[in-house]
Amino acid sequence: MITLQLVLLVSSALFCLGLAIVLLRRNAIIMLIGIEVMLAAANLNFIAFWRYGAEPGSLTGVVFALFSIAVAAAEAAVGLALILLVYRHFRTIDPGRLPVAHD
Amino acid sequence: MNYLELISHVLPEIAVLVTALVLIGMGCAGGSRGGGKAVLAVTAAGLGLALAAVVFGPESGRLLEGMIVVDALTRLFKAVLLALTLGTALFLFPGGEAGGNEGRGAENSALLLLALLGLLVVVGTENLLLLFVGLELASLALYLMVVFAAPAGRPAEAALRYFFFGSVAAAFLLFGFSFIYGATGSIDLRVIAKVLAAHPVEPILPLGVGLALVGFGFKVAAVPFHLWAPDVYQSAPAPAAGFIASASKVAGFFIVAKVLVLGFGVVEGSADWGAFAMGWAPLVAVLAALSMVVGNLAALAQQSVRRLLAYSGIGHSGFILTALVAANAEAVRAVLFYSVIYGVASLAAFGVAGCVLRARGADRLEDFAGLGRTAPAAAGVLALALLSLAGLPPLVGFFGKFQLFAAALSGGTPGTVPGLLWLVALALLMSAVSLYYYLRVLKQVFFAPAPADAAPTRDTSAGTAVCLVCGSVLVLLGLFPSLVLQPLQRALVQLF
Amino acid sequence: MPSDPQAYLTLGIFFGIAVAAALVPIGLSHLWLRWFTPAKPGPSKHSAYECGIEATGPARIQFKSQYYVYGIVFLIFDVEAIFLIPIAVAFLDLPLGAVLVAAVFVLLLLESLAWCWAKGYLNWK
Repeated sequence: MITLQLVLLVSSALFCLGLAIVLLRRNAIIMLIGIEVMLAAANLNFIAFWRYGAEPGSLTGVVFALFSIAVAAAEAAVGLALILLVYRHFRTIDPGRLPVAHD
Repeated sequence: MNYLELISHVLPEIAVLVTALVLIGMGCAGGSRGGGKAVLAVTAAGLGLALAAVVFGPESGRLLEGMIVVDALTRLFKAVLLALTLGTALFLFPGGEAGGNEGRGAENSALLLLALLGLLVVVGTENLLLLFVGLELASLALYLMVVFAAPAGRPAEAALRYFFFGSVAAAFLLFGFSFIYGATGSIDLRVIAKVLAAHPVEPILPLGVGLALVGFGFKVAAVPFHLWAPDVYQSAPAPAAGFIASASKVAGFFIVAKVLVLGFGVVEGSADWGAFAMGWAPLVAVLAALSMVVGNLAALAQQSVRRLLAYSGIGHSGFILTALVAANAEAVRAVLFYSVIYGVASLAAFGVAGCVLRARGADRLEDFAGLGRTAPAAAGVLALALLSLAGLPPLVGFFGKFQLFAAALSGGTPGTVPGLLWLVALALLMSAVSLYYYLRVLKQVFFAPAPADAAPTRDTSAGTAVCLVCGSVLVLLGLFPSLVLQPLQRALVQLF
Repeated sequence: MPSDPQAYLTLGIFFGIAVAAALVPIGLSHLWLRWFTPAKPGPSKHSAYECGIEATGPARIQFKSQYYVYGIVFLIFDVEAIFLIPIAVAFLDLPLGAVLVAAVFVLLLLESLAWCWAKGYLNWK
């Protein structure tokens, strides 16, 4: 039997894993994947709360997940375009090796 | 549901969206040659139509479980956002030529309008789903605006940094919303408030509110979620930076105040000295204190004026959040009032910074030397904006700050020492610090001699006009603050 | 705020497990890398295996960025189509207004397609 707690545990682990990827990895594309994992964790939460919630008939959680999937795709597209721009200019996508902008 | 009713309530948004689509079409048709004026005309026409739709549209309404909310407050703030965007649009076109953005002015303008559309959606909703979608639409457009005018080198890097901070914050926000949905079973702020008032609070709710605060903290650039701001403000084109510092921040404070006070007023807790109670108030108080200290102290060390404005903006987020901690009607009024005048002052300051940047190629403090003689109008507006930000009396900044601190002190039982005195004392101290770095800029502007080889600071009439309008708004509101306060007060009475 | 400290204890344990579940696999893979995977660099190990054919040139070639734009455009259109699924499921029961709204959405997608086409991002150069 899959309980709500179990799903929440998985989603929280996914969220922390995504955050760890963003914070620890030094490759912009991998970091982008980490962000997608974090958003996926939130989607999992929405579906779980909808499925185990008081009124599964209202579909709020599903609609929220649907929208956030589309938003995540748009975000990935913008991110990839920015990474490409940075790569063209600096020949690296390691955020740690970009020259830090300060006066 | 009646579609006509729906359309009549979102007419301003539709006007902005259609204008953006027309602009994209113009960019696609190659309207680059000699198109600067046409693009500006279309943009201004679209914004004017949207403003008319706001003014003459329905007075109130609440559709689709709070997804679309029209009342006096949202109409007022939609009008403010449209006006700030119009100012930004005029800055975007410094001359007849395409303004250095390689004939892509149409797309640039379309991005500006899409960001505005996101902010309008954010302001006009009480539903977490539309709130998230609107914030993301605005953020995505802003990431691109940072890089669009000159897609190479530093702007690209700043945009990438902005993107990573922003999307992690968005993920936190979404994760927090999911817990709020789980704890209350709704994403409508009013229903959430009702559920919270009627039932004991589930333990996952504070978690959700805390995670959402991370996302909001990013949007208003509060410490410790501020790291993107200095790079972005410095590297982005001045109009984009001005938009991020004005319209985007106004909408950010609006929605933070609305979500926290309207939706989660029950779980406020307390940040009073000696009477801490868990809730969002202590968290916001910590954000406010950190932002004031870090923002104002870091601004002291800056050589680039745009970077200085970024840190001063972080400090101002601290001042505004200070009043929000009190969370009563008076505090919300002070927060909203100050965010508007902060937006106007920042737009003016970035306008002048952009004009110096074009004339002298950099925006270090030395580059402002002698501006008082070469460009008296720009220098005067800069002085008005900075002194208003510093909070000196004849200007509206003084009145706004006074309201903020008075609201923060107003909470608690009368007759005793106000619980938030510690925070307000810190704010007053930091306000004094901020005066020092604003005066450092003005000393260069008015008392340092202009370099002998200084090119004459010339700017188009449109940019100067926007600067002058912003400056006169600051003076006028300083003399007659009730011009904005009274509508705001009337609108808030409906809300509370 | 609830006064029941038990609920917060559960939440604390819960998050401890969540963080551990994220960090332990990463740590384990690092340990695995250090102890069980000796580095054996060599020309044969680094060659890209192509069914017996000698590899020519490096395996990491760069695609043209033109292809990249194509990929991004595909990503957007692919995922935005998600909004058509609920409409398709409930299509027969929808009122005329809803169908018109769906048509507006498709028209928006079409405009972006037309924009990409006119800008030449769909051409393979």
